[in-house]
Amino acid sequence: MINDKEYCAMEGRSVKLKVYGWMIRLSFIIYYLSFSTACSRAPEKVQKIDVLPPVYPDYCDITIPENIAPLNFLLRNDQCEALEVRAGDLTLNARGNEVVFDIDDWKALLSQHAGKEIEVTVTALINGQWIEFKSFGWQIVKDRIDPYLTYRLIEPDYEIWNQIQIQQRCIENFDVNALGHYEQLENRCMNCHTYGSQSPDLSMMYVRGPGGGAILNQNGQLSKLNLKTDDMISGSVYFGFSPSGRYIVFSTNLIIPGFHSLASKRLEVFDSKSDVYVADLKTHTMLRSHLLSDSTKFETFPTFSPDGKYIYYCVADSVALPSDIKNLQYRLARIPFDEATSTIGTQVELWNVGSSVCHPRISPDGRYLLYTVADYGTFPIWHPEADLQLMDLQTGDIDTLAVVNSEKSDTYHSWSSNSRWFVFASKRDDGLYGKPYFCYIDKDGKAHKPFCLPQAHPTFYDNNLKSFNAPELGKGKVPFDVEDVAKAMKQEAIPFK
Amino acid sequence: MRVRIAIFVVVTIAVFCFFQFWYSYHFFYYEQNQIFLWEWEYVSGYFQRVGGFASLMGDFLTQFYYYLYAGSVILTLCIAMVGVLLYKLLTNLKVSSWVAIALGLSLMVFLTVCHFSKSYKLSSTICILGWLLTFWLVSRIFGVRGCRGTGIVFMLVLLPAYLLFGMPKAVRLQAPDLVLEKDFAVSNEYHFGNYDKVLDIVGSSDGWTRQMMFFYNLVYAHRGELPDHLLDFIPNNLGTFEKIGPETPRLTIINMNELYWALGDMTFTERAAMMTNVFAPENRNVRMIKRLAECNIVSGDSAAAQKYLRILSKTFAYKHWADETQMHLSKGQLPPYLAQKKPFVNHHDTITISDNAHFLMMQLLDANPGNTIALDYILCSTLLLKDIQNFKRDYDRYCMETAKPRLKKLYQEALCIWLAGTNAPQEEWQRYVQRQDVLRRFIEYNNQRGNPRFKDTYWYYYDKAGFALNDK
Repeated sequence: MINDKEYCAMEGRSVKLKVYGWMIRLSFIIYYLSFSTACSRAPEKVQKIDVLPPVYPDYCDITIPENIAPLNFLLRNDQCEALEVRAGDLTLNARGNEVVFDIDDWKALLSQHAGKEIEVTVTALINGQWIEFKSFGWQIVKDRIDPYLTYRLIEPDYEIWNQIQIQQRCIENFDVNALGHYEQLENRCMNCHTYGSQSPDLSMMYVRGPGGGAILNQNGQLSKLNLKTDDMISGSVYFGFSPSGRYIVFSTNLIIPGFHSLASKRLEVFDSKSDVYVADLKTHTMLRSHLLSDSTKFETFPTFSPDGKYIYYCVADSVALPSDIKNLQYRLARIPFDEATSTIGTQVELWNVGSSVCHPRISPDGRYLLYTVADYGTFPIWHPEADLQLMDLQTGDIDTLAVVNSEKSDTYHSWSSNSRWFVFASKRDDGLYGKPYFCYIDKDGKAHKPFCLPQAHPTFYDNNLKSFNAPELGKGKVPFDVEDVAKAMKQEAIPFK
Repeated sequence: MRVRIAIFVVVTIAVFCFFQFWYSYHFFYYEQNQIFLWEWEYVSGYFQRVGGFASLMGDFLTQFYYYLYAGSVILTLCIAMVGVLLYKLLTNLKVSSWVAIALGLSLMVFLTVCHFSKSYKLSSTICILGWLLTFWLVSRIFGVRGCRGTGIVFMLVLLPAYLLFGMPKAVRLQAPDLVLEKDFAVSNEYHFGNYDKVLDIVGSSDGWTRQMMFFYNLVYAHRGELPDHLLDFIPNNLGTFEKIGPETPRLTIINMNELYWALGDMTFTERAAMMTNVFAPENRNVRMIKRLAECNIVSGDSAAAQKYLRILSKTFAYKHWADETQMHLSKGQLPPYLAQKKPFVNHHDTITISDNAHFLMMQLLDANPGNTIALDYILCSTLLLKDIQNFKRDYDRYCMETAKPRLKKLYQEALCIWLAGTNAPQEEWQRYVQRQDVLRRFIEYNNQRGNPRFKDTYWYYYDKAGFALNDK
């Protein structure tokens, strides 16, 4: 039942959103018209060159799902006066160096060519000469990607924050809405939003500071949890839901920022302590195991296996920090878990993959384990060598994902519900600002070249000064917004024993 | 009519003169703490919020504050237009012209006072201007006159004007902060490399703020004369005891950026620049974006530098610099002033969990003992704290062991204290104190300890000065 007051508030919000919505639409329409109709100059006396066009973001020879938003891009050439882009049957002429597709034309293009590869040819008018670049391909696959992406927007230097936002983006178009916004949440620090089994009906985010807590979404009902008990070193930091949604496995971490004297290495973040616990959302109790809170070890990055029978996590022997940071090597581990009896097993299995492991995430079909490796430590965001690896849990084979990784940090990944796509944050462009990239894994387990989250404006990433942090894919739009989170923050936190 | 125009002109000139001759450095503060990109993607973002047009115009005009006289001219014109428009609107509504002029001038004075605050943005004045312009235009177009028409005009323009101009921000009225103006003056003149002007401003002041001392010291450090002027102000502020945290004032963070940049620590220069952005309105500070480009060029991270150069090339004021820098980089060169920084870059990697400046300066000196600025700051910092033991340790490490004794009077005097305090043998005295004038005065001082005649010596500071608590 909605009372009058709530109804009025909803109405007011609805009117406000409509006004904003129309303003946003108007700006997009003006923007689109300015680029798509201002110039439709057709190429003439074209010179062909055997070089791929310098398109940004790099959308050359990529695999995309049939439900992705238009891949708007720009040609990285300041002298470019006009462009013609031929993609399949679609031809687009634009003034300047930016390509902005009409969303209806784009949707038609993808639906017509789903399951096929289309050839894309870019012809540019540069210094008065039309130049046709080497064509590239877009492989359009019928395997759809989960349509919603949540992420945190934050300045890249994470140790001190101000004005953080958690946003949800529909990746089938360009709609964005806020789940957490500093204006409504007293400029608090917010941790990432994580789904349970990619479902919008089960998710959690953590709002820090006095009166903060874990905001749990169960079918749109928000509640505030106090997941910190007296014996814990902190509240939850990294967490994941069990497949049934009854349990949350999470780590508590005492996080210390350190600074490299070498400017190119910048920040090093490590845990001086970390443990793993399981919270039972039904009984509001904590499940503990001495194997997951060993004082001589650091346990972190826990996640349930899709069948709920194991907790995967990372573990390292404690070393003197920060002096011995390069000896801080995390290994992959798993421990059995029984959902029926709420018991954590007693046998830990360990894998050594040769580098320090972070963020293990298992594909929803249980076939693959995706994780990050770095030379050392537990915070791969500032490690340029941090790369993703894919372990086939049936064969134990490890794919180093050469086609996916870059010279800069590639990490913080999350699977799509069909196990065919994953998203990860990569700093491949400038080494500073993370952006979401999507990668396709075909039925043979082969990874395809990833592509960057498309934006309405091709220059968005050039102008953007925030990192996309911890991107997570979801099957649908979460049934709450920032106003609901602000209300939930005023609730009394549910304690755990 | 002429009298009324004359009154408006006189008040307008007075407003201009005040902002130009007494308050002009405030304009740099406004200009820095934003960025305006001349690009549709950026501009269109303004229309996604209420009052976007006023913000757009305010930010657009504020970027020109970078240029001398532009700030005073723009702000004065905006304030004058508000006054004139209110006058026009009121007379259109058949209000007595003298009442209208009184109200118009009152609003001009009120807005002038609002702009004394560093948190009051031009967009708020544009917002008022927009509302008045809308009312006036609609009343003119519809020919509405008199009080009965007012309500109709009001209803007609309410929503569109609100969407375009929003509401002006409230601000606490204050007197002009002329002390802050001087702080801004030294900070900006230092940033633009006008070191003599910094010294002139500080020298001609009756009182000195920590900000003024900080830049005074920084100027002398660049000239290799920091130890010669360390005792000019007691207590003094080197800035080396500051730390960046959530509660650190933004001006202090900007100062830290200048200090780290002068010392040559690119890790912490970048961090301070990012932190300035983090705490700036809308998380944007154009000067720090330029600094991010500079420090990444010096540290050799060209991909990161390109990111910032691209942004700056879309601005009016910084485009020239960005394009010139880009031209140098495309030829595989660094702009000369950045090339000078290159030798100071630390090539050894260590990790510290503290931003303790002493530790950072030790790292820089270990990497490059020729870094005189870092050497003087590390030695002067310990001397301000009267920490003779650590001064001696650092002096040995970076002056004696490198066979490059720094024979500054201040250091020689401090060494006398250590030598006397440890009953050092004669050969030690000869090894460390090479200036006979210092030795002679030390003997004199020991016979008259605390005599104000020795106020210029470190011995007097050591014996008499209150502990520099403010610096701790």
